[in-house]
Amino acid sequence: MGTTYWRRTLAVLLAFALFAVACGGSDDGESATTTADDDTAADTSSDDGGDADTGSDDGGETAAEPDEPNEPEEEREFVEEVGGDFLLRPENVPTDDQRGGVVVVGYAGAIPHTNGAVSSGYAVNTVGPQVNASLLRYNDEYQPIPYLADSWEIADDGLSVSLELNAEARFHDGEDVTCTDVGFSIETSQANHPFKPMFAPVTGVDGGDTKSCTVNLSQPHPALLIAFSPGLLPIIPEHIFNDGQDMKTHPRNSTDVIGAGPFKLVEFDGSEIVRFEANDDFFLPGLPYLDELIFDLGLDHPTVTLGLQTGEFDIAAGDQAHGGQNVIDSQADPNQRVSNKGFEAIGSIPWIQLNLRDEVLGDVRVRQALAHALDKETYNDIIAVGLNNIDQCGPIQRNSPYYNPDGKCYDFDLEKAQALLDEAGYADGFTITMHQASANLPGMELIAEMWAEIGVTVEISLDADFPDWIAKTVGEDSEYDATWTTLWNWGDPVIGVNRSYNCDNRVAGVAFSNMSWYCNEELDGLLNDAGLEFDEAKRAELYYSAADIINEDVPVIYLSNQVWYQRMQVTLENPPESIWGFMDSWAEMWVDA
Amino acid sequence: MKQIAVRILQAFGLVLAVIVLNFLLVHLAPGDAVDSLAGTSGEMSPETTQRLREQYGLDKPVTTQLATYVGNVLQGDLGVSIANNNRPVTEMIAERLWPTVLLSITALAFAVILGVTVGTLAARRPESGFSHSTTVFALIGFSMPVFWTGYLLLTLFSKNLGWLPISGMENLRFDGGWLAKQWDLAKHLLLPALSLGLIYIAAYSRLSRASMLEVLESDYVRTARAKGLGERSVLFKHALRNGIIPIVTVLGLQFGAILSGAILVETVFAWPGVGRLAFEAVVERDTNVLLGVLFLVSLTVIVANLITDVIYRLIDPRIRVSGPTNG
Amino acid sequence: MADPTVFGMEEKSEGFEPSVIDESRLRKPPPKYQGLRMFRRNKAAVFGLILLIVILFITFVLPVIFDGERTERVGGIHLAPGAEGSTTFGTDYLGRDVGRIVMQGGSATLKVAALAALVIVGLGTTIGALAGYYGGWVDNVLMRITEFFQVLPGLLFAIVIVALYGASTTTIVLAIGLIAWPTIARLVRAEFFRQKNLEYVKAARAIGASDARIIFKTIMPNTLPVVIVQSTLVMGSAILFEAGLAFLGLSNPKDLSWGFYIGVNRNYFLSNWWGVTFPGLMIFFTVLSLSLIGDGLQDAVNPKLRGR
Repeated sequence: MGTTYWRRTLAVLLAFALFAVACGGSDDGESATTTADDDTAADTSSDDGGDADTGSDDGGETAAEPDEPNEPEEEREFVEEVGGDFLLRPENVPTDDQRGGVVVVGYAGAIPHTNGAVSSGYAVNTVGPQVNASLLRYNDEYQPIPYLADSWEIADDGLSVSLELNAEARFHDGEDVTCTDVGFSIETSQANHPFKPMFAPVTGVDGGDTKSCTVNLSQPHPALLIAFSPGLLPIIPEHIFNDGQDMKTHPRNSTDVIGAGPFKLVEFDGSEIVRFEANDDFFLPGLPYLDELIFDLGLDHPTVTLGLQTGEFDIAAGDQAHGGQNVIDSQADPNQRVSNKGFEAIGSIPWIQLNLRDEVLGDVRVRQALAHALDKETYNDIIAVGLNNIDQCGPIQRNSPYYNPDGKCYDFDLEKAQALLDEAGYADGFTITMHQASANLPGMELIAEMWAEIGVTVEISLDADFPDWIAKTVGEDSEYDATWTTLWNWGDPVIGVNRSYNCDNRVAGVAFSNMSWYCNEELDGLLNDAGLEFDEAKRAELYYSAADIINEDVPVIYLSNQVWYQRMQVTLENPPESIWGFMDSWAEMWVDA
Repeated sequence: MKQIAVRILQAFGLVLAVIVLNFLLVHLAPGDAVDSLAGTSGEMSPETTQRLREQYGLDKPVTTQLATYVGNVLQGDLGVSIANNNRPVTEMIAERLWPTVLLSITALAFAVILGVTVGTLAARRPESGFSHSTTVFALIGFSMPVFWTGYLLLTLFSKNLGWLPISGMENLRFDGGWLAKQWDLAKHLLLPALSLGLIYIAAYSRLSRASMLEVLESDYVRTARAKGLGERSVLFKHALRNGIIPIVTVLGLQFGAILSGAILVETVFAWPGVGRLAFEAVVERDTNVLLGVLFLVSLTVIVANLITDVIYRLIDPRIRVSGPTNG
Repeated sequence: MADPTVFGMEEKSEGFEPSVIDESRLRKPPPKYQGLRMFRRNKAAVFGLILLIVILFITFVLPVIFDGERTERVGGIHLAPGAEGSTTFGTDYLGRDVGRIVMQGGSATLKVAALAALVIVGLGTTIGALAGYYGGWVDNVLMRITEFFQVLPGLLFAIVIVALYGASTTTIVLAIGLIAWPTIARLVRAEFFRQKNLEYVKAARAIGASDARIIFKTIMPNTLPVVIVQSTLVMGSAILFEAGLAFLGLSNPKDLSWGFYIGVNRNYFLSNWWGVTFPGLMIFFTVLSLSLIGDGLQDAVNPKLRGR
């Protein structure tokens, strides 16, 4: 009996072990998290092992990369002089010894892919500009800087823009960047990118396979130049992507990505890790300064915070960028630096969107009452630990030259609020349901509490996920009352502001459209005129008037203008601090170890 | 033999049922992957969503989609992940499977080793205070919600003492040799495995105590004792060997239950396993990935079940494995 | 996530089946008073009972005594228990009293768990009885159905249902019920198999009692003790399942249940340990009390295992 039992045990154990090994074994070759692949043997800090770390095939490995992990590390050839007007920080250039190294990013969130031509959003545009280049970059004063485009000129009639592309500009596979690629990228954006107004007036790009291009427009388009930013129009290779597959879900958006950017993508797992290596053939000499960028994804806030403290992470990104207790903790740490420079162009405005189709909320007095009943300061103190800016009264973000700091603001006044409600006939209050585009339960709870003071009951709808939220707020039969959401200005009002208020953008099924179903003909006229106006002073005036109308009508209640905080090690030099913040090339970043 | 063939057929039918019913369950719910894509990309025009739905066949009737899906699965094609740019589901699961398997095996190893040791020792003196307190101790392990345990351990070992990392499976910046890497892995693995294993220590100590007691009272052991073999020999060589059977049997069948715990543990510790993958797939409505995981886990349990059945039948046909059948 | 199956393993593991109910004891129903005396002797079980009563008291009686708005902001955010301006159990990310929220967090959890346990026992008993009594093809079909639900990964299946179909009490109860009933079914089925050929059942058949009557009035009462024991453990598991789902966000935010509150507070746990610790402690005590009670009942009901 003993032997039989023993045999049985063995058999079962064996079966189970075989199964486990079969699964474990087949993964070793692919998973980046197993050990053998990451082994850099005797190498020192510059850890390029040569062989592709995972299965991903970088067809065009250049000769500069060493092949054998055991050979003495070959230094990348750095150009002696790093100069030229393409640097944002020419005064902070590392010495040869200081170049190289790895930067590890603690990222709270996931990243879907790297192609900013088909998606908007922080995630794609944080990694996108590392592997892709754009026509222009911007410094922290809204001034354009040469990038893929050496020079540019707007025609007198405003109906065309000519560009000279950098002669050395190449993709990672060696192919030149030409006007064909520029044209293809713009077309891709027109067909797939959510921001239709961005390139709507573009009728075509001349120049073909040369480096001298002309962008033709159907009407003057002042917003065009800022649309050439890294996060808004990456120049993608036409010869790779133009194969008939749908651009929105094209596999080359995340595997075997070929771009013209300062880094090459070597590993991509959207919820775990994204890894970049320096592009030694980058067309701007001397860049990038770093050897490797690693994004550790899918982390939660405590992990990132702790990682910064222990030095595991050099910089925090993802949801970490916003104000919160984390920022205070980091400011107290002598090894960390917190910067709130950068991101001025983003204009991130969290707000409460009200559905004007609702009977109660359709009354402007009710909306104004709700605005008066919101204690923005307390909200900011509790939710953002006082780190955001509550002087945001109007659709245009307060950092923009088109923002009117003296515009109408709804001060916190419960009496006024109650009076307005009484006037509208809702002295006894009413009930509304509030949704949230992304997790912000604390904020919702707080708002519910505040509005309870004037008799308004808020039912919080905990939308399970984004599709759920879309279905409930912009779905075909949606009858939502209010939703908390955050929208970005994206640099130019034409890109990020108009969409929320234009009469013709009241469409079902499209998130971040005119979800309030607000329509004011006069306002539309003002916005359209402003979109065509090149004279900055006149433009500002038009936007001031537009803001007045919107403020009076209160289709949305602005909560604040979010300040973005970059938490990093003190050793990190040249963190991305242009008007686009993270959503820019990190080529000039280096570590003063 | 015939019975074995029948069992295999039944298992196959069960697998099919799992595929079909899960598919229907997921696809009959409101919302789909394209909606989720719309969110991550910033928004999407109705034309684009329609275009994408056509591309993935999501606009066809459910029955057609089901037929296509089942056909594909039977050929080994689990489809592509819509949320991950058409990456093959098999590839994604394969990549994330090993961390979960590692976590599960380690957790079970803790549980079995500690549990069986405690249970066996308790079986030696069934009436002692130690014995009774092992029961209570075991129940404590079972009663602690696994995610809570995780945070307690993290607070103590990561935050306060700073001995162990707070999450993930490896330190990405790490630059050492193979041995150092394993040590790093072990440090990352310890807390999650402990959290997960704690539940099962309870189960295994009770199980082994019960089965050990049965065995210790059996004829076989009485004979061994009568022969004059030392208590330790009796206990560990003979009784343990036999008493371990039910535990081993349970191991393979527990995979479904372990995944449940793994989902929570992987969330707490950001462990890059298949549990977290499945949860993300639910949130992103990435149906193919979700169905793939459901299918694979169920398949594992079914196969483990089947193998156990078959092996038992082959080795000892007297044992009626499926419980009391015909009275 | 633990599976109540594991506890019943002594009865159900394949190829290993000590007889659970001594046949000789079934000439009459187990003497209740004897059982209760055993129960009382088991100190752990009594402790469990007291603990459960305390928890019920905290959850349902205390809120009435400490009347007030649960979600009222009472102070600054993230104040430690006992710190200046803080409350006994600290404040959370909005400045609310953690103690108060935890006090009432159990009502939703317990209600859901109780309902789920009802579904599990109801469904499981019925199916198990039918399968065990009739045997043959009925048993076959029902066992295949049972197997189907047993091979599904429990929590994941529940997550799918609740995430996709909304987090209402109905879906949560249904989800938990669907994943946990097989263990009861198997138990009851085994019982019925054992008992249906016993003398007293044969006697009932001889006098012409209908199948339904035999199932429900004759055999079922004799299986009740075992079912009740398992039910307490099942309720414990249901609570853990609900907590797990809530932790992942799949719960009604207004309920602020224990699991949900842990999930919400987890982002701040580095600076706010009390928001995570106290709700978890409540879950722990509740499940522990039910497990201890179940364990004690098991000893009372199964004398053969009592020596253990």
